[in-house]
Amino acid sequence: MGVRDASGAWVSVGQTVPAIATRGSQRALPRLRNALRIALTVAYFALVFTVLLAPLVVVIGGSFSAPANDQVVMSYVQFPPERLTLKWYREIPPPQLQALGFSFALGLAVALGACLVGVPAAIGLVRARFRGRGLVSAIMRAPLQIPHVVAGIAFLQLYYVAGDWCGIYLQGTTAGLFVGHLFLATPFVIGSVAAVLQRFNVRLEEAAHVLGASRWRALRRVTLPVIMPGVFTGALYAFIVSFVDVPVAVFLASADATTFPVELFHAMEQDFNPSSLASASLAAGFAIVLVVLAQRLVGLDSLLKSNTR
Amino acid sequence: MKTHWGRLLVVPFAISAVLLVGSQFVFLQQSFYPDLAFGRKAAHWSFANYARILTDPYYLRTLWLTTYISLIVAAACIGFGFPIAKVLARWPSRWTKVLLSTIVLTSFITTVIQIFGLIIIFRADGPVNTALLWLGITERPFQLVGTAGGVIIGLVYASFGFAVMLMYGVVRTIPVSLDEAAAIHGASRRRVLTRVVLPLSLPGLIVGFLTIFNTSMGAFTSAALLGGGRIITLPVLIQRTMLLDVKYGMAGALAALLLLFVIALNFASIAIMRRFRITRMVTV
Repeated sequence: MGVRDASGAWVSVGQTVPAIATRGSQRALPRLRNALRIALTVAYFALVFTVLLAPLVVVIGGSFSAPANDQVVMSYVQFPPERLTLKWYREIPPPQLQALGFSFALGLAVALGACLVGVPAAIGLVRARFRGRGLVSAIMRAPLQIPHVVAGIAFLQLYYVAGDWCGIYLQGTTAGLFVGHLFLATPFVIGSVAAVLQRFNVRLEEAAHVLGASRWRALRRVTLPVIMPGVFTGALYAFIVSFVDVPVAVFLASADATTFPVELFHAMEQDFNPSSLASASLAAGFAIVLVVLAQRLVGLDSLLKSNTR
Repeated sequence: MKTHWGRLLVVPFAISAVLLVGSQFVFLQQSFYPDLAFGRKAAHWSFANYARILTDPYYLRTLWLTTYISLIVAAACIGFGFPIAKVLARWPSRWTKVLLSTIVLTSFITTVIQIFGLIIIFRADGPVNTALLWLGITERPFQLVGTAGGVIIGLVYASFGFAVMLMYGVVRTIPVSLDEAAAIHGASRRRVLTRVVLPLSLPGLIVGFLTIFNTSMGAFTSAALLGGGRIITLPVLIQRTMLLDVKYGMAGALAALLLLFVIALNFASIAIMRRFRITRMVTV
């Protein structure tokens, strides 16, 4: 009896094991139960993903939505849109556009910096054998354990103290933001590169060396290409950490150097303006492009595996 | 043929260590100096800030509120997320990829944008409140901003994608052959789930729960935007104490407590992972 139940299960999971011959009315009940179960699963997925994506859809949809009449108050968003318009995109406040560009540049710089620190660190951590390696590894990955708010206040206070000491104040500067984000982002590169490197067969590199390549050349020509997906994934995460961060930048940003999420954060604390929807949609659209690109370049599995938050 | 790979570590380690020790040392040290007015601090160190936090009902209420909200958020993320993660991990299909990418996407978009959308959805005349009023579930529109419920919803949004990714990793580490073996021996679907998949993923789920609890305890953005100055959780309090009240010492002490709490929980989850030999569900 159990076999029949089980065979019903097999088929629906999409396995190749065929249903063991059971005929006629005997099959009807499990079939019905199967159909019901699949329907419930699909309904649950539809519900959760609708709820999950609703805010994003409303923001992007609202950004194209025209006011019902021209006298309508600014603070009202018509959703679903009745008339489409690009009005809000034309009216994005210049500081928000500037902040978007700033965030983008900062993210790139952080990704690059995190790779410069993180890639050698990962190679060293995976390959070197010495006492205290565990401690070194723990220290380099410690930022993952620190809540971002704590990192924010820690760097602000560090900049105050360091400024009093040497006269260079980093709070409110691009450099200060860069250092704060670099601190948060580097462990992501270390994590994703180390993950790839552990699976890499060192003999390939040794073979290149034996065949006459210098150590450095073997590393550069054999190992680096293999670990590139790890580097890329790490860089992507480093970029994202910087690009979406609020709690660190809210302490370290200033009118001169402010990131997009912080600009939007302050815009929402004050008054509501639909052109913020337009700039938010630009940022969201950019994130969508990034995810698609990343999936093409390194594959989803690599993205999921090195998610080290 | 001995290569000194350790040399590669020197510069990165120096950078990491300086940033870690420098930042953490300064605020921990400052947390021992009671604040005087206008951002000045007392000349001698003491435990005054910590004593105040642990005795003043205002701070204690904040600690309790943050803990309680984070517990609900973690439970909601694990509870609602597990079925999604389980099906995605066990259901090889083209759709799996699309759905997983969607999950990844939600964690790639800054929380501010998601909260922005949520506020519009939960407007007094928005779709959710219209539906709630029409169904007679509530008599007055549900307020998202400034209520504990709103903060919880916001935090669930902020962590849900991450929770699903974590649990997807957990279920993927359980070989499908175990499900198949149980099924061949006559276990029904329900029994495969309750006697094989759930028990084997339980340690991973506990670790996931602790991780989400941890991130929620430290989550700033959604708590700040949806708290609306009325529901103040610990991270929001830290920011306000630092930037509005200009009390560096007190802000430092609050941050130190949060840090201590988070590290203690992390050690607990590492212990659980060791105990049950969970092999790198996330590559930390």
